[in-house]
Amino acid sequence: MRAERTHTKPFSLRLRLLILVVFLLVISLGMVGFALDAAFQRSNEAGLQARMESLVYLVLAATEVDADGSLQVEDDPGDPRLGQPGSSIYAVVDQGGQRWVSPSSLGTDLPALGVVEPGTSVFATPLEARRFYILQYGVSWELADGSMHPLTVSILVRPREIRQEKNAFRLGLWRSLGATALVLVVAQLVILMLGLRPLRRITQDISAIESGELERLEGNYASELEPLKRNLNRLLDTEKANQTRYRNALDSLAHSLKTPLSVIRSSLPADTSAKSDVVQNAVSDMQRLVATRLQRGAITTRSSIAQAVDVRHQVKRLVQSLERVYSQDLINIECNIEPGLAFYGEQRDLLELAGNLLDNACKYGDGQVRLTARSINPAAPRAGFTLQVEDNGPGIPEQEHEQLLKRGVRGDERVDGHGLGLAIVLEIISAYNGDIHIGASDLGGALVSVSLKP
Amino acid sequence: MRILLVEDDTALQASLTGILRDAGYAVDVSGDGIEGLFFGEEYPIDLAIIDLGLPGMSGLELIRSLRKQERDFPILILTARSEWQDKVEGLESGADDYLTKPFHPEELKARVGALLRRSAGRAQPLVELGPLTIDLVSQRVFRGEEEIELTTYEYKVFEYLLMHPDEVVTKTVLSEHIYEEDADRDSNVIEVFIGRLRKKIDPGGELNPVETLRGRGYRLNTPPESA
Repeated sequence: MRAERTHTKPFSLRLRLLILVVFLLVISLGMVGFALDAAFQRSNEAGLQARMESLVYLVLAATEVDADGSLQVEDDPGDPRLGQPGSSIYAVVDQGGQRWVSPSSLGTDLPALGVVEPGTSVFATPLEARRFYILQYGVSWELADGSMHPLTVSILVRPREIRQEKNAFRLGLWRSLGATALVLVVAQLVILMLGLRPLRRITQDISAIESGELERLEGNYASELEPLKRNLNRLLDTEKANQTRYRNALDSLAHSLKTPLSVIRSSLPADTSAKSDVVQNAVSDMQRLVATRLQRGAITTRSSIAQAVDVRHQVKRLVQSLERVYSQDLINIECNIEPGLAFYGEQRDLLELAGNLLDNACKYGDGQVRLTARSINPAAPRAGFTLQVEDNGPGIPEQEHEQLLKRGVRGDERVDGHGLGLAIVLEIISAYNGDIHIGASDLGGALVSVSLKP
Repeated sequence: MRILLVEDDTALQASLTGILRDAGYAVDVSGDGIEGLFFGEEYPIDLAIIDLGLPGMSGLELIRSLRKQERDFPILILTARSEWQDKVEGLESGADDYLTKPFHPEELKARVGALLRRSAGRAQPLVELGPLTIDLVSQRVFRGEEEIELTTYEYKVFEYLLMHPDEVVTKTVLSEHIYEEDADRDSNVIEVFIGRLRKKIDPGGELNPVETLRGRGYRLNTPPESA
């Protein structure tokens, strides 16, 4: 159970705050409601008690004890409700076994009533057994002869009236409390929306970092978020530094391996004995591994900040370099590049990609090379582009295509010729999620087409 | 032909020097960029092989400095950096070709030969001089089908003259380009080499390919029909 709980997704901040606020509102407004209700009840009852007391005096004023001790009460003590049956207000006067009951009690079962000591009054709220408010007042009636006759006046009120008032009050109370709660919840939602806005902004910025549109958190955030921003930036910096260090370490390892490999190569006897062939082949394999695995391996972690590299300019640099290198071979490199075509990635990778393709074409072609670059979707500049390099050489037999395009094939298994250059091209393409296709050119030789989608 | 090799790895330096000397080149060796620049500025170099990762001064800076001083001998970059970014930067700095490590010694020799021929305006490795055919790659000289045996120094003198046809070449220049800096030079030896060379390639004396210009030097005269 516990383990399960740790796996459940925690509530969102908004939901969490909302639940807490609603909980708090229910408790506090409930308490306020109960308190108001109780206060109202008390003041209502106090009002009732006062009214009942005045009835007591009315009844007392209508009461007469004769000299023989008999009780006389006027049937209309001065309040019409006492005279009207079913009016829910009743008066009872007890005096030494004699009882007067107001006419209003006609047809009503009145509860048994005790006697109260003269000079005291008792107020009782309705109970399960007697459903009346009862006020009893003890009086000592002094006759002309000086004899004292204890007399108890009881006023009984059915709670119906007071209950109606209470219900009306409660309805109003809960309505207004409910409206208050609703307003508070809405206010809370607005507060949350405004209060969480900086968080939403930082979240958006973080996803912009992920997608490569931002390099670090640069905006001004709420002061509570500044430490978060600082820490995230520090993390990003460390991450970048680590990546650079890792890349540099691999790079320098790759390069420092090459010089000893050169030494091995140049120290071998020039004859082509089987033994030196074995070593030469081993050195070739190591060279391929260093060039493809070590050097390119470091670059498969693609930099998230993609800057636009002008394809036409970089290809021009390559063509100038190649023309210099192949100057004696009279190579004609024809370039058809859409103006403004941009590559979103490392300039180094573009040069490597196009350089290897062009170099292969110069090497294995017969002096005629054609490079075509066009964007996949001219309307969307970041949609990627295709780069196609053709030559007029012997071409690549179809049965070798698959073998050439297999990533990670060992050097000695790879078809010679286009092999190493293509191996590097494949590493770059896989880092950029690109596609490669080998075909035949109308120039007569090989056609290698690469498409890169960012 | 005199080659400047700037390479800081001593093992590679030694083995490359051996390979180049065996191929008949005079080799000046430097282990860092600053000394390499000095050699390149002061010595009559025909070609430089420069490693890009050098202490003191990077290979690229060295090449730029040499080119700025209008030293226009061909430069072959030797680099462990096989990426095109580095190749392009190297070539843009003024180098003529690059060779990435590890390389075959044969490849190095072929590139050096090709660059030297290219700078002399000779695209083809076979040079015809009247009845003579000179293979600049295998360094052999033929008269018709018959091979003429030349010693290393005889060939070096002949090759230098072939690379500078119809130019007056002084004895000093010749000795500077076939000997290394610290070699014990004697200009009389050049006369001896020229004498032996003439006897071998032109025993009858009717061709007179190498003309002596008294007090000035030598000139290789190319017949009008040869390339």
